[in-house]
Amino acid sequence: MASVELKSITKSFGAVEVIKGLNLSVAEGSFCALLGPSGCGKSTLLRMIAGLEEVTSGKITIGDRDVTHEMPAKRRVAMVFQNYALYPHLTVEQNICFSLSLAGVSKAEQKTKGGQVARLLQLESLMDRRPAQLSGGQRQRVAIGRALVRDPEVFLFDEPLSNLDALLRVQMRLELAKLHNELKTTMIYVTHDQVEAMTLADKIVVLDKGVISQMGSPLDLYNAPANRFVAGFIGSPAMNFVPATLRKTAGGLEAELTGGTKFRLGDRAAPSFDGTRRVEIGVRPEHVQLGHADQALITGRVSVIEQLGNTTYVYADTASGPMIVEADQSVRLSPGDTIGLNIDTDRAHVFDETGMAWPSVRSAT
Amino acid sequence: MSDTEQSRPARRFTIGGALLTLLTILAAVIWFIPIYWAIVTSLRADQATVTEFTLWPSEPTLAGYIFGITNSKLPIWYLNSTITSVVITFVAVFTAASTGYAISQLRFPGRRLLWWIILASFMIPVPALIVNHFVIVANTNMLNTYQGIILPMLLTPVTVIVYKGFFDGLPKEYREAAVMDGASEYQLFYRVFLPMNWGVTTAMAIITFIGAWNSFLWPFLAVQSEEMMTVTVGITAVQDAFGVAYGRVLSGAVMASLPVALAYLLFQRRVTQAIALSAGIKG
Ligand SMILES: Nc1ncnc2c1ncn2[C@@H]1O[C@H](COP(=O)(O)OP(=O)(O)OP(=O)(O)O)[C@@H](O)[C@H]1O
Ligand SMILES: [Mg+2]
Repeated sequence: MASVELKSITKSFGAVEVIKGLNLSVAEGSFCALLGPSGCGKSTLLRMIAGLEEVTSGKITIGDRDVTHEMPAKRRVAMVFQNYALYPHLTVEQNICFSLSLAGVSKAEQKTKGGQVARLLQLESLMDRRPAQLSGGQRQRVAIGRALVRDPEVFLFDEPLSNLDALLRVQMRLELAKLHNELKTTMIYVTHDQVEAMTLADKIVVLDKGVISQMGSPLDLYNAPANRFVAGFIGSPAMNFVPATLRKTAGGLEAELTGGTKFRLGDRAAPSFDGTRRVEIGVRPEHVQLGHADQALITGRVSVIEQLGNTTYVYADTASGPMIVEADQSVRLSPGDTIGLNIDTDRAHVFDETGMAWPSVRSAT
Repeated sequence: MSDTEQSRPARRFTIGGALLTLLTILAAVIWFIPIYWAIVTSLRADQATVTEFTLWPSEPTLAGYIFGITNSKLPIWYLNSTITSVVITFVAVFTAASTGYAISQLRFPGRRLLWWIILASFMIPVPALIVNHFVIVANTNMLNTYQGIILPMLLTPVTVIVYKGFFDGLPKEYREAAVMDGASEYQLFYRVFLPMNWGVTTAMAIITFIGAWNSFLWPFLAVQSEEMMTVTVGITAVQDAFGVAYGRVLSGAVMASLPVALAYLLFQRRVTQAIALSAGIKG
C-alpha cells in the first residue's frame, strides 16, 4: 500500500502535448478513477505511473520513493491491461506465476502463492487451462491474478471491463469492489464509463484534453460539477442544458429562457455583472417534473418515451430546446402529446460562457 | 461434424465447381506422374528402364538402390547432407528469429537501415552472389569443409522478414506486461516471444531444412572432394561415373529426396495446424 503523487506532469508525443502540467495525489488505499472521453490522455497518464511511458517533465512519487525514472518492474505497481495480454503459450497457473518464475522463486513457493491468488479469484479449477480455453470473464480474472501475485503497492487498471458484455461487466465491477475492500491496496482505474467510476471509486478525476477538469468524490462531482464538461459527462441520461439570459433583480438572479419563460434561481456565488449575461442553465432529468401544460414553467411536445421499468424517461422538444425528464412508471404519455415541465430551480446549475459553474450557495459548502 | 453434415445439402452442383474440381485433379495427376514414374523406374531392372512402359515393373528389383549404397559414397553423402542441413536449420532459424525480434521490438540506432539492408538482400537472387561467396570461401580456405558449405547458406532474409512480421503483429501489451513482471530482454525473447508461437518456428525450420537439403548450386561449387559431397551433389556424380543408367540415377534421386518428403509428410499437419491456430488466437 502506498500513496501516489504526481507533480506538474507533462507528456508530449512529438509536438503534441497530451498531458499538460497535471498535479494529482491519490491517497494510500484509495480507489481512484481516471475518467474522461476517448483520447483525453487517461491511458497515457496511467502508463506513466506504470513506467511504460517516460514523462516529459514532472515528478512521480509512490509512497516516499521518487520513481520518475525508475524501471517499471521496480516500481512495485501492477497493471491490468484492457486486452488482458495473457501469454497464450502458458497455462493459467504459469500466467499467474510468471513474474515469480522470472524472479527465480522456487517452484514450491510459486505453487503456494499462485494457489492463494487462485482461491481469492475462484480460478482453482482452471489452473491447467490455456487462455484460449477461457471465457472473457475468466481471462479478466487471470489478468487480475497475475497482478495480485506480485503483491504490489498500487494496482493500475486500464479499462479492464470494456471487453466484457454488459451483465459480466456489472458482475466484475462488484468483484473488483470486493477485492478492494479485502486488499485495501491503492487502485488507479482508467475508464470512460462514468457508471464504473461512480460505483467503484472513492475519488474521481475527470480529465479533459490532458488537464484535470475536476476531482472529488462521486457525489461531489454529481451534485456540484465545477464546469459544463463535468456536468455533461457525469450522470446518465445527461444533464439538460438550455441557453438563458440572466439579470439581477431585487430578489436575486432571474433567468429568462429563449421561449420567454422567466424564473428565479436559487442563491449562488455569481460574479457581479451589469445588465444581462448569457449563460446556460443545466438541470438533471430528475430535477424536472411533469405538470399541466397551462400551469407549468415550460411547455413541450413529447418526442420519445423510454420505459425502463423503475423509471420512465420522457424526451420533449421545448421552445428552449430538447429536454429529458425522469418520470415514474405510472405516466401515460405518447409521442406528440403536449406536456408541461417544471424545473427545480434550486437545483439548477448555471454555466457561464467559458463553461465555468456558478456554484449554488447550498452545494458550495 | 454435424456442421459439415448440415451444410452438405446446401452445396449444389455447378458447372464451374465441377470444372474446378476436374482442373485440380488434373493438376494433381500432372504433378504426381513424374514422381510415380521415378519410383517405378528405380525399381526396374537395367534394360527394362528403356523397354518397359507398364505401370508396375514386371520384375521389381532393388538393384539400383543396392548399387547406389554399395558402389558409391551415398552413406557419407547422406551424413554430410544431414549435418549441414541440421546445422543450417538451427543456426539460420535462430539468427533469423533473433534478428526479426530485434528489428521489430528493440529501438536502437541503425534499426531502420538494417531492415532496409535485409529487405534489399531479399531482392538479390542467390546466384548473383555466388561468385563472391566462392571467392571469399576459397580465400579463407574453407572449400571442401562443412563451414564452407554452411556459412553462405545461413543468409535467410525471408525468414527474418517472416519473423519480423510475426512479432510486429503481436499486441504491444505482451511486451509491456512482461516488462512489468520484471522480464529482462533475454527473458522477453526466450520466455515470451519465441515460445508464444512454435508454429512459426516449426514452419520456418521445415522450410529451411528442405531448402538446405535440396540445395545444389552452392554445395556443388563449394565441394570437389567426394568425401565432402552432399547427396544432391553426389548423385550427379553417380550419373557421370556410370553413364546413363536410369534405374541407378533414379534410385539415387529417390533416396536423396526421401528425408525431405518424410519431413513434409510428418510435419505437414502440424505446420498447417500451427499456422491456423496462431491466426485464431486473439490478444
Ligand atoms: N505513442 C504515441 N504516439 C503519439 N501519440 C500518442 C501515443 N500514445 C497516445 N497518443 C495520443 O495521446 C492522446 C491520448 O491518448 P490516450 O491513449 O492516453 O487516450 P485515452 O484517454 O486512453 O483514450 P481511450 O479512452 O480511447 O483509450 C491521443 O490523442 C493519442 O493519439
Ligand atoms: Mg486508453
